[in-house]
Amino acid sequence: MTCPYLEYREGIEGTPTERAYCAAVDEFVQPMRADVCNDRYDLSHTSDCEFYREAEGLEAGESADDATGPSSEEAD
Amino acid sequence: MSGYDDYLAGEPVVVTVALTGGVHGKEANPNLPETPAEVAAAAADAAEAGASVAHLHARKPNGERAFSTERFQELTDAVRETTDLVVQHSTGGTGAPLSERRKPLRTDPAPEMASLDMGPLNRYRHLTSENPRAMVDALYDEMAERGIKPELEAFNDGHVNEVHGLLERRDLAEPYHTTLVFGGGTLTPARPRNLLHLVDNLPEGATFNTLGFGPHQLPFATLGTVLGGHVRVGLEDNVYYERGELAASNAQLVERVADVARTLGREPATPVEAREILNC
Ligand code: SF4
Repeated sequence: MTCPYLEYREGIEGTPTERAYCAAVDEFVQPMRADVCNDRYDLSHTSDCEFYREAEGLEAGESADDATGPSSEEAD
Repeated sequence: MSGYDDYLAGEPVVVTVALTGGVHGKEANPNLPETPAEVAAAAADAAEAGASVAHLHARKPNGERAFSTERFQELTDAVRETTDLVVQHSTGGTGAPLSERRKPLRTDPAPEMASLDMGPLNRYRHLTSENPRAMVDALYDEMAERGIKPELEAFNDGHVNEVHGLLERRDLAEPYHTTLVFGGGTLTPARPRNLLHLVDNLPEGATFNTLGFGPHQLPFATLGTVLGGHVRVGLEDNVYYERGELAASNAQLVERVADVARTLGREPATPVEAREILNC
């Protein structure tokens, strides 16, 4: 099951394809996070996404702010 | 082993260009290449600017991560058509099982190199790229079987211990090409003295890349060049050219470190020289 907040939209400069968009935070999501949104591999939006958990009141008292991070801090 | 003597001797610097990555995409910088055609064109420009190794991740048409051999085949074929760069496939993949992470190794021909993450890395709030030893060994064994040179990615100083551990468990060919990664989170804090300590702790027979994320890319490339190491730059690791100014291309980032290397008396290695230096 994919996340109920997931949509695919056009609007990223430089590409005509529809991209993963999060209606919970009103932003396009990073491609890696889109695997969480789609529950691919061993990933699950209910347990692995702080935005989902915050929107659903599952992370009360915790801020998801530190979870976004600069986009260039992660690679492999 | 790489060292200051290599700097004094003016040995060539191997510049690896991490062209696309799999974490962020065009939402972070519209100049980041995603499709095989875009990556191949960016690789050709980067080669012209002084790169000798291309670090590759495959993507789906919408930019999302792809691990399949078919996607990597399409990508690697495109890059090989436009350049003679050493081809290095990523085997990284947060949340992806070993069965997926093996697939980039199975192109025909096999990549000359592949990345091997040496241990865990936290991502976002709830995720960890686990990279347990059993997975590291299994990926290494398949690389060895297919004649692929591993690039040992040490996200922090504990992972240098893991490099030593892998050398005890497996019989790797020299040089042990290690990438020392600097930045926030689980990575080694980006302080120059930490690079000195890490280089001191590498095994005999190692060469090293410096990889600084974001604003640390240029200073750590410069430091690594002075210490006789090699460098990795590119839009996978840093989407900015300067504070507040997005990079125009991978080639722009490569050109800058190639200029630094020349200023410091080291030429960027050609792909032929890189194959010799890295034994791949
Ligand atoms: S980012 Fe999180 S909340 Fe948003 S669509 Fe993806 S899984 Fe759902």
